[in-house]
Amino acid sequence: MLNILIVGNGQCGNRILDAINKEAFGGKSKFAKFYSQQKYKSKVETIAINTAINDLKELSSTKAKDRIHIPHLHGVGANRTLGKSVFEDNKSHIMRNIEERGNFDVGFVITSASGGTGSSFTPPLIKEIKEKHDFPVYAVVVLPFREEGTLYLQNAAFCLKEIRDSGVDGIILADNQFLKQIGGNVQSAYNTINDMIARRMLFLLDALDSEMMMVTDLGDFKTVMSGGAGLATIGFYEAEKGMNIKTTIQKALSPNGLLFSTDVYKEGSRAMVIIKGDKSYLSIDEISSEVEKLSSSVGHVFKGIIVRKGEAPQVLVVLTLEAAEELENLYSVAVDAIHQEREKKTRVEEQKEIDKAFSQIDGLEPDY
Amino acid sequence: MVQFKNMCLLMLTLALVSLVFTGNACAKDMIFNGSIQEGDGYQINTIVIDVAEVFVSAESCVFKVYDEGELEHDKLINIDDTITFTAEGETIDVTLLSVSGGTLPQATVSITITDDDNIYLKQIVDGGHEKATFPGTPSLEITKEVSSYTVDQGEVVTIKVTARNKGDGKATEVRFSDPKPTGFILQEILLEETGQLTIDKYETRTIFLYKLQANEAGTFEFQPTRASYSNEADLDFPEAVSNIPVITVTDTGKNAKKVAELEFSTSIESSSVKRNDEVEVVINIKNQGDSSANGVVLNIHLPEEVEYKGSNSNIEIINGMPKAYLETFGLDQEKEIRFVIKPTELGTYTITTDYSYQYEDGVSPDRQEVTGEFTTSTIDVARGDLDSVIEQPWYVIAIPLLIIVAIGGWLFHRSRQYRF
Repeated sequence: MLNILIVGNGQCGNRILDAINKEAFGGKSKFAKFYSQQKYKSKVETIAINTAINDLKELSSTKAKDRIHIPHLHGVGANRTLGKSVFEDNKSHIMRNIEERGNFDVGFVITSASGGTGSSFTPPLIKEIKEKHDFPVYAVVVLPFREEGTLYLQNAAFCLKEIRDSGVDGIILADNQFLKQIGGNVQSAYNTINDMIARRMLFLLDALDSEMMMVTDLGDFKTVMSGGAGLATIGFYEAEKGMNIKTTIQKALSPNGLLFSTDVYKEGSRAMVIIKGDKSYLSIDEISSEVEKLSSSVGHVFKGIIVRKGEAPQVLVVLTLEAAEELENLYSVAVDAIHQEREKKTRVEEQKEIDKAFSQIDGLEPDY
Repeated sequence: MVQFKNMCLLMLTLALVSLVFTGNACAKDMIFNGSIQEGDGYQINTIVIDVAEVFVSAESCVFKVYDEGELEHDKLINIDDTITFTAEGETIDVTLLSVSGGTLPQATVSITITDDDNIYLKQIVDGGHEKATFPGTPSLEITKEVSSYTVDQGEVVTIKVTARNKGDGKATEVRFSDPKPTGFILQEILLEETGQLTIDKYETRTIFLYKLQANEAGTFEFQPTRASYSNEADLDFPEAVSNIPVITVTDTGKNAKKVAELEFSTSIESSSVKRNDEVEVVINIKNQGDSSANGVVLNIHLPEEVEYKGSNSNIEIINGMPKAYLETFGLDQEKEIRFVIKPTELGTYTITTDYSYQYEDGVSPDRQEVTGEFTTSTIDVARGDLDSVIEQPWYVIAIPLLIIVAIGGWLFHRSRQYRF
């Protein structure tokens, strides 16, 4: 049994972590926590960290003891410099909390790249963990909508870079912009994205610690994640009624199944395909055909099959990327955003002439 | 010696004879024994015994007896002689005891009468019968008049009581009694002579004048007015009694008595209930009479096994008993009094309510009071829903309770785990 650590940083990380915990209860009902136990195959420790207490309070499926509030007003206001400072002040408390939970075989840190607390806490946190522990740590990073604002875009650019420099063992990307295709209102879209990521994460955790017909394990996952440019994404699809396994694999690799926009066959470096379902659906020919097709493009593909009686076929693909055109697009937009912010700051500094007007009455008192 | 014995026997016989005669003499009442001067007299009631002439030398005297001024006897008698005559039904003896001379000669006389019970006046009269005065004999005649002898019910009649002294003496210490008749209401007293009165001879006086309202239909015989009286000599005379008027009162229906007649009825939400179920009881009150009722009081007597739970009507609990009070209850008014009870034991119960109220009948001066009671139909109380549970063995209750407590504890524990 694996010991797994999952840390959710900031509001986005907290919510995805809570969605994972909720999914682990196996039911959609908000009362599932009262009558059900979480169905983690491994020994999973979850920790939600935030500077905004209200974000922690709204979590429903994460135990109170697993929520760490870093007291600093009500958040850091998307200011990563401030956020990193707050982390430095509280990192011993955070690390102690992690260390009290024992040793781990693998860790995941989930965060939004664009926010305040999550984007500023995650790089130094990963660095701290990597310095003090030898288990692999993977970051699950959610990229912002491109129109969310210049601050978020520049945060995402710097955060992602800092995470990559922190010694992380791999970054799994999820792109809100790409997932915008889901549609619906903002709230339901966020919830759906969170649920999508949670479901994939849970599938992955399940696959890393399950007995399989064809084995993929943590070692394979590490190998996959170490390939390419250190960036990865996850594809997933659950077959609809009557859908064969071949189509299901194709759907998992299609834009609808992936968390990040990429051309699998062009940008992929290594892959791990995990197939789960009733054996009646699992045609070895169809599976082999699709895996071979993928491996002919990306190189090596690890393949795992989990037989679950009565379940419809589900396919999870972990795919590391050699290149990420979409990420380059993001950085291009982010650079523009950084320039915009700098120009804005310059303009504000120039307008400090106004202060001179105010300074004319310094030392004077009104006379009535 | 023999002569001495005969002498003693003779003296004893004479003594016994003397006692017998003395006893006869004592049968009369002595009313006077003394001297009366010539020309004066001695009056006994209306009788005057004049000492007309005294002949000292002849030891005799002329007595003249007058009855209310009329000469009845005129007789010359010697000392120790007696004149006997009858007056007031009694025998009077006048005995001349002695005579004596002087400026005016006088005679010593004794006067006895067989019975002095009827003597109301006895005295020496200076100047004899010509100077004597007589108290007279009053005689009262009372007349009770009514203004009408046939009246309708509710009509007013005037009663006038007059007294006339048709005797020749003043009536003193006159006291009247005039009982009021039944079936009539005293409306107004116009005149009422009270206390001791004096009515001169031949005087006519109005004693009572008052108005009565005929209250009931029928023929009513008035009780007579009575008067006790005396004459100036304090002689009591037989009571005077008036005539007895008879009045016929006809029933026109216009002044018939009014009645407040409250009709009480009850209804129960359900006649068969389960133990500890609450049941609503409704008391319906309706005034079917032609007068308003006042001070309607309902005392609801609940069996011990029935609890009073409350009411939206104005029922108060006084000394543990539900009571309702309605100050007035008008003509044709209807009212519902609702209250809720809870039988706590199995059985069949009824609820009895006693009531009281007053009303004015428009005729009687006082309010009429009505009391009574009424009872609901029966309420059958069967076993309650929880009875069968309570009767189960303890573990039948305890185990589900433990499960519920455990679930509750678990939910509490879980909610604590996830509350931040």
